[in-house]
Amino acid sequence: MADILKNRQLQLVVLVLSFLLVFVPYFIDIPQLDAASSELVVITSIVTAFTVALAVVSQYQRGMHYIVKRSKGWPFKAYMLISIALMLVFALFGRDSGPYEWVMLSIINPLSSVNYSILAFYMSSTAARAFRARNTKALLLLLVGFIVILYQAPLTGAMFPGINPIGVYFGATFVTAVGSMFLISVTVGAIVFGVRVLLGKEPSVLGSGGRE
Amino acid sequence: MVQEAESKMAKSNGGILKWMAEYDRRYVYLVLFLVVIIPLLRPIGMAVSVSPDTQQYYNVLNTVKPGDKVFFTLNTEYSGFNELHSGIVASLRVLVEHQAKICFAVGHVEATIIPDLIIKEVKSEMDANGYQYGRDYVILGYVMPNEPAVAGMAMDFHAIVTQDSLGRSIQGTFLDDVHTWQDWDFISDFSTGLSTTYLQNHFALRGTTMIVNCIGVSVPSEKPYLNSGLIKGLLQSMKGGAELEYLIGHPGVGLTSMDAFTFGHYMLIVFIIIGNIGYLGYVRKTQTEARGG
Repeated sequence: MADILKNRQLQLVVLVLSFLLVFVPYFIDIPQLDAASSELVVITSIVTAFTVALAVVSQYQRGMHYIVKRSKGWPFKAYMLISIALMLVFALFGRDSGPYEWVMLSIINPLSSVNYSILAFYMSSTAARAFRARNTKALLLLLVGFIVILYQAPLTGAMFPGINPIGVYFGATFVTAVGSMFLISVTVGAIVFGVRVLLGKEPSVLGSGGRE
Repeated sequence: MVQEAESKMAKSNGGILKWMAEYDRRYVYLVLFLVVIIPLLRPIGMAVSVSPDTQQYYNVLNTVKPGDKVFFTLNTEYSGFNELHSGIVASLRVLVEHQAKICFAVGHVEATIIPDLIIKEVKSEMDANGYQYGRDYVILGYVMPNEPAVAGMAMDFHAIVTQDSLGRSIQGTFLDDVHTWQDWDFISDFSTGLSTTYLQNHFALRGTTMIVNCIGVSVPSEKPYLNSGLIKGLLQSMKGGAELEYLIGHPGVGLTSMDAFTFGHYMLIVFIIIGNIGYLGYVRKTQTEARGG
C-alpha cells in the first residue's frame, strides 16, 4: 500500500486532477463540479490549518534538541518554547480579556510596532547616503526623488499645488510601469513553474529530489 | 605663515565639506527622532492637500448603500496597523454612516485584537446608527490564514466559517444570507500584502467591488490593479488615511501625524542636499586631485 502511495505517476495524476477540479469551475459553470471543487477547497483549508499544529510540534522538537545539546543561542530557544506554551495556556482563559489580551496589547503589539518603526530610521539614513549625483543618471534619479518626496509631504501640495500633477504623473507612469513589470514577471514565472509541476518536471513539489 | 594659514583653511574647508560628505548616520537618527516627536507632542495643524487617488477611494466608498454586506478585511500585522490606522477608522466611519452590514475578518494573528480597538473608536457612530452585534456587524477573527481559506469562503462561505472570533455560532446573524462571493456587495481591504492577492483572485476578479488601503511600499504593486479596474479605489498609506479624515471632516491620528510626516520628509531632503554638497565639494574634488596627481 505504501509503495502504491509513493508511486510518482500516481501522485502526479492526483495533482493534475486536483488542479483541474479547482481550475475548471473558475471559468466554466457546472454545478456538480462547483460542489466537488468547494469540498476539495474546504478539505485543503482544514489540512492547511493542521500544518500550524505541525509547525508548533516541529518547533518544539527542534528547540528541545538545541536546549539539550546546549547549542549556541539555546536560551533564546528556551524562551521561545516557554512563550509558546504560556500563550497557549493564556488563550484558554479567553482571548478578549485576561492575560492573553494583556500580552497582545502590552508586549507583542508594541514590539511589533518598534520593529516596523525602526525601519524608518534605517531607510532615512540609507536614502540620505545613497542619493548622490555621481553621474547624469544618478542626477536624474535625485531630481525625481526630490519631487516625489516633496509631493509626498502633505504641506507641499497645499502650499504649491503645481507640484501635484507632477507627482501624480511620476506615480502614474514610472511607478506603475515598474510595478506592472514586476507583477508580470512574477506571474509569468509562477505560470511557467505551475506548468512544469503539472508536467512532472518539478519532482521537488512532491517531495522527491531535484529538477529534471 | 601664509602657508600655514592656507593649510589650515584647506583643512577647515575640507573638514566641513568632508563632514557633509561623510556625516555620522546617528545625526540622521537624532534629527529624525526630534522632528517626528516634537510635532506629535505639540501638533501644529498644517494644511494638507487631497490626492486624486484618495478622492476616488472616497467616491467609491460613498457608493455603499444601507444594508450592503461589506467584507472588512484586516490583512495586516499590528505594526502595519499603525500606518493604516487612520484609513481603517475613517473608512469604518463612512461605512457605519452608510449603515452597511460589516463583517470583520483578519489575515494575521497579530490583527485579532484590531477589530475591538477600531470599534471602540467609532462606538458613538455605531450607537447613533443603532448597530447591533449579529444583525449589523460580526467579528470573525483570524479566518484568512492562506489562499485555500479565502478560496473556500468565496465558493462556500459557511463551509469555512461557522463561528465568530469568540466561538459563537454565526447562525442568526446577517451572514445567513452570505453563501458565495456573489453575496458580498463590497470588500474593504487593509493590507500590508498578506491575503490581498487572494481576495483579488477569488472575489474581485469575479466581480465583487473591492477597495484597498495599503502601506506605502505596496503602492507600486497595487497601482496596476487600480489602473486596470480590478480594484476601484486605492488609499495610500498614512497620508491617504489623513486625506480621507480631512474629506470626511473627522480628524484623527492621521491628520495629527501629518506635521511629523511633513517634517520627516523635509528633513530627509535637507540631509540629501547636505550629502550632495559634501560629495561634490569634497569627494569629487579629492578624486579629481588624486587622478590629476
